[in-house]
Amino acid sequence: MRAQGLGVSYKILIIDDEEVVLDSCAAILEGSDYQMATASDGKHGLKLVQEFQPDLVFVDLKMPGMPGLEVIDRIHTVDPSIVTVVITGFATVSSAVDAMKRGAYDFLPKPFTPDEFRLITRRGLEKRKLVLETAALRKEKEMLRENFAAIVSHELKAPLGAVQQNLFVLEAELSGNLTEDQKRRLERMKSRITDLVKLIHTWLRAISVDIETIKEKFEPMSVASVISKAADSIQPHATRKDIEIVTSLEDPLSPIFGDEGTLAEVLINLGNNAIKYSYAGSQVLIKANEANDHVLISITDTGVGISKEDLPFIFDDFYRGKTSQTGERGYGLGLALSQRIVEIHNGSISAESELGKGSTFVIRLPIYSRDHHPQPPLQAEVIPSP
Amino acid sequence: MNEQKRLLMIDDDPDFVAGIKAILEGANYKVDVAYNPKDGFEALQTNPPDLLLLDIMMGRGAEGVMLARKLRKDPKLREIPVLIITGIREQIAFLFPGEPVHPRFVPVDELVEKPVEPQFLLDRVSALLEAAEERKVQSD
Repeated sequence: MRAQGLGVSYKILIIDDEEVVLDSCAAILEGSDYQMATASDGKHGLKLVQEFQPDLVFVDLKMPGMPGLEVIDRIHTVDPSIVTVVITGFATVSSAVDAMKRGAYDFLPKPFTPDEFRLITRRGLEKRKLVLETAALRKEKEMLRENFAAIVSHELKAPLGAVQQNLFVLEAELSGNLTEDQKRRLERMKSRITDLVKLIHTWLRAISVDIETIKEKFEPMSVASVISKAADSIQPHATRKDIEIVTSLEDPLSPIFGDEGTLAEVLINLGNNAIKYSYAGSQVLIKANEANDHVLISITDTGVGISKEDLPFIFDDFYRGKTSQTGERGYGLGLALSQRIVEIHNGSISAESELGKGSTFVIRLPIYSRDHHPQPPLQAEVIPSP
Repeated sequence: MNEQKRLLMIDDDPDFVAGIKAILEGANYKVDVAYNPKDGFEALQTNPPDLLLLDIMMGRGAEGVMLARKLRKDPKLREIPVLIITGIREQIAFLFPGEPVHPRFVPVDELVEKPVEPQFLLDRVSALLEAAEERKVQSD
């Protein structure tokens, strides 16, 4: 695919078996800033598509040899960004519609006036320009996304690393000379920076990781095991806030099909949220049971809850509740990322909450079944030749 | 009896360097510093240290890696143990396509992440120095 720079003239290819059409088209465009090539049949035309690399191709639908529709298909196989317009002699709308269903951009009914031809040419080239620009932008966006991760990672983490490194040193150098209160503050500084580094990692994951790729790692896995891992991980946070984590799992639970690492991340995120918005001395309940071929995992707290106005938006990127009461702050990505991960697993996530009473988040994941989940491909059956 | 070991640190972040230097000097190492790969390589050649502490992401991209590769090719400098200190463990695989997460530039290197706990750093440094010492005794 080429970028169409300024000052580069567009290339137009016309494939038609009628010499009079080719000649009149050439005459109409004479003097304009286009390069033109012509072919009298599909085979010839496709050869020119490769050599001439046109931006816009007019294809006659009814030609001897390769049918126009097939020519259009083949052009799009060579380069889907080439814009094609069909020339249709039997000015029936249905044949033009057929062609447009197969990817043609427009149609030119025969006979046509010079103005009609010029107009359709201009429209086709505008389309081509848009297609090329879109492709270039998409590529740029992709590069930005990849590079952004690398740059952010270094530019944000390096200063934090330097600060943390010096806190480590200070702590070591001053050990024995600090009061309990000073030690505690130093400890807090370290922990705040550690949190910040974790936050950067979360953002980077949300921005840079193509979440679809986790599908490649899916395998049958146990719900009990992922819950136990997540519970272990959030235990220190709970202990710090004097909150008890209670797990209650149906036994046995069917396996699900997924990636344990990212699902654990979802549960850790929901668990940490539950702890974050809970009051000291309360419980966070993690339950799992089966219903209708799904495993349901719920995480319930009796904390501050989410207001009715906020509830519909909590899974949106960067959404943060306006009515935070505990002084706890989120960054509005955890739930959005969690939802994305659950959806990749063909599951769903929902929340119920009442302000002042607490929240329940429920994740539904389909049970693993041999019939519905991909297995290693079977070897192709060998058909004996006659 | 035990003479003071001389370390060279190459890292472009002066604050980070100060943090590491304080730990190492506190443990009675002599620490020289170069703040860019070019000065660093010169320092390596004119006065080879007992151990090199090397940052990966310097200047435009991973210039630390270039330096480590140059080091590996030099018959004299390749004997110096290298401790890589980096803030970008997760990007290593990206920087070295096809290599495992823990690339070994030179046979004796070791990789730690920024920031590094003081005791952990001291343990790694002394382990690398001891290993280098043993190799020296064996080849003598």
